[in-house]
Amino acid sequence: MFDLIEAWLLRPNFLAFVILFLWGLYIMVARPNLVKKLIGLYIVQTSVLLFFIALSAKTGATVPVLVSAADAVQAAAYANPLPHVLTLTAIVVQVATLGVSLALVAVIYRTYGTLDEENILKKLE
Amino acid sequence: MSEHLPVLIFLSPLMTAIILPVVGLAHREWSRPLALAAVSVMTVLSLINLVVVIRHGTMRYTFSGWAAPLGIEWVDDGLASLLMIMVSVLSFLAMIHAGFAEPSSLGGRVVPYYALILLLIAALTGIVFSGDLFNVFVFLEVGALSAYALVGIEGGKALVSAFRYLILGTLGSSLYLLGVAYCYAVTGTLNMMDLAERVPELLLSKAIVGGLIFLFLGLGIKMAIVPLHGWLPDAYTHAPDAVSPFLASLSTKVALIAWVRIMFWVVGANAEIDHVPVLFLLEEVGSVAAVVGAVLALTQSELKRIFAYGGISHIGLILIGVSLGNRTGFAGGVFYLINDAVLQAALFFLAGVACVRYGVRTLDDVRRVRGYTPWMTGALVVMAMAMVGFPPTGGFFGKWYIILGALEARNYLSVGAVVVATLLTLAYWVRILERVFHSGRPSPGQTQGQASAAPPLDLPVALKVSVGTVSAAIILLGLSSDPIIGFLRTVAVPPGL
Repeated sequence: MFDLIEAWLLRPNFLAFVILFLWGLYIMVARPNLVKKLIGLYIVQTSVLLFFIALSAKTGATVPVLVSAADAVQAAAYANPLPHVLTLTAIVVQVATLGVSLALVAVIYRTYGTLDEENILKKLE
Repeated sequence: MSEHLPVLIFLSPLMTAIILPVVGLAHREWSRPLALAAVSVMTVLSLINLVVVIRHGTMRYTFSGWAAPLGIEWVDDGLASLLMIMVSVLSFLAMIHAGFAEPSSLGGRVVPYYALILLLIAALTGIVFSGDLFNVFVFLEVGALSAYALVGIEGGKALVSAFRYLILGTLGSSLYLLGVAYCYAVTGTLNMMDLAERVPELLLSKAIVGGLIFLFLGLGIKMAIVPLHGWLPDAYTHAPDAVSPFLASLSTKVALIAWVRIMFWVVGANAEIDHVPVLFLLEEVGSVAAVVGAVLALTQSELKRIFAYGGISHIGLILIGVSLGNRTGFAGGVFYLINDAVLQAALFFLAGVACVRYGVRTLDDVRRVRGYTPWMTGALVVMAMAMVGFPPTGGFFGKWYIILGALEARNYLSVGAVVVATLLTLAYWVRILERVFHSGRPSPGQTQGQASAAPPLDLPVALKVSVGTVSAAIILLGLSSDPIIGFLRTVAVPPGL
C-alpha cells in the first residue's frame, strides 16, 4: 500500500495527468452548461498531452540537436523529441476541434437563446 | 505510377475538398460536378488498385522517402484495397443520391457540404490505408470533425445531436490517443509492423494491456459498440438526409476496420492475456452488442431510429465474425461489413426519401402511404430480406459464413447470439412490413383524412434509380459472394489465421 503511494508521489507528473483527466471527465458529465462541458473536454485532451510530454521528460537531458556529426550520438543525453512532435500535431487537432465545437455552441445559442442543456432539451420538446 | 496509387486515391478527394471552397465562392453550381468528378476518379483508381494488389501483392508506401519505422507507412494489402472499393463506390452512390435529396434541405450551404463530405471520404481512406497508430488518430479526427459539422449543417434539432456527437467523439479520440501514448511508452514505436514485433511478448505488461484497452474504448465509441453507442441514434436521426447515408454506411465500419488492423496486424490473432484469448473477449462484446442493439431496435417507433439501432446490432455481428479466430469467420465478418455498409446506405436513402416526400417518420406513418409507392415497397422488401438474412441477399451469406466460422471454432455462444439477433431483426421488420402489407383498411378517421390530404405523388425517376441501384447492389453482393469470400479467405487474410 505504502509502496504504491510512494510510487505515485515519485511521479507527480503522472499523478497530475490522472487528476486532470478525471477532473475534465467530471466537468463534462456533471455541468449542464455547454461551454463548461467544452472546457471539461479541453482539460481531458490537454491532460493526454501532458502524459505524452511527461513520457519524454528526462533529468539532465538537452534539446535533441546534433552539434557535430563526428561525435557518437549519446541517446541518454537528449530528450526524446518524438512525443513533442506528436503533441504538436495533437494540439493542432485539438484547436480544430475547439473551433468546430465553439462554432456549434454559438449556433446553438443563437437558435435556442440558452446554453443550459436542460433548457435546450425542454425547448426541443 | 502504380506504386503511388494509395496516395492518389487519397489525394483526389482531399485536394478537391481544398479547391472546392475557393471555386465555390464564384460558382456555387460547380461544387457538385467537381465533387462527383473527384469521387469517380477515386472509384476508378480504387478498382485499378485492386487489380494491382491482386497481381503484385501488398504494397507498402513510405512518405517522403523515410523508411518504415521512422517515417509514416501506408499498407495497401488485400483487405485495404477491397475496402477502398467499398468506400469509394458507396461514396459515389451516396453523393449521386445526395444531389436529388439535397437542394431543399441544405439551402445555401451546398459548397461547405461537398467540401466536408470530400474531407470525410479522404479521412476514411487514410484510416483504411494507414499503417501507423498516430496517423490513424489524425485521420480519425479529420473524419470526425467533418462528421460533426455535417450533422449540424442544417441547423435546428440536429445542432444538439451534433454537439453530443462532438463531446463523445472527441472523448473517444482522446482515449485512443491515450492508448497510443501507452503503447509508445512501452515499445518506443508507432509503426504497426514494428509494434507487431514487440507487442506479443509484452502482453504481460500492464501498460500495454491498459493501452490496448484505451485503444479499443476510443475506437469503440467511434464504431458505436454497445454500450458506447449513445451518440449514434440521435446523430443519424437528426442529420440531414444528404448526410446520414455517408455516416451510417461508412464511418462506423471504418473505425471497426481500424480496430481489426490493430487486433490482427499488431496484437496478433493468438494473443492471450493471463490465459484469456483476446479474441474471445471481443467476440463476447460483439455478442452482447448484436443482441442488445436488436432489442433496442425493436423498442423504437421512428423509422430512422430503428435503422440506426439495427446498424448498432450489425456492428456487433461483424465483431463476432472477425473475432472467431479462423478464416471462415473473418471472411464472413468482413463480407458482412461490406454488406452492411451497402445496406445502411440503402436504408437511409429510403428513410430520407420517405421522410421528405411523404412525411413518413414513424411506424404509424408507414401505413398511410401504403399502395402509393410500389417502387419503395419493393426496395424495402429487399432491404428487409438482406437485414434478416434471406438468400440471395448479401446478408444471408455474411451470416452463413459467420455461423460456419463459429461452428468451426466450437463457439456455440456466438452461434446463439447470431441466431437471436437474427430473430429479433425479423421481429422488428415484421413490425414495419405489417404496416405496409396488412390487408385490412387502416384505422378509419384520422388516417383516411391524412391520406386524402397527401396527394399520391410519384417519386422522381432519379430517386427511383438511386434507391433501386442500392437495392440491386444488395442482391448483386449476395450473388457475387463467392469470389469476394474467396478473395477474403486467400488474399485479404490477416497474419496468424
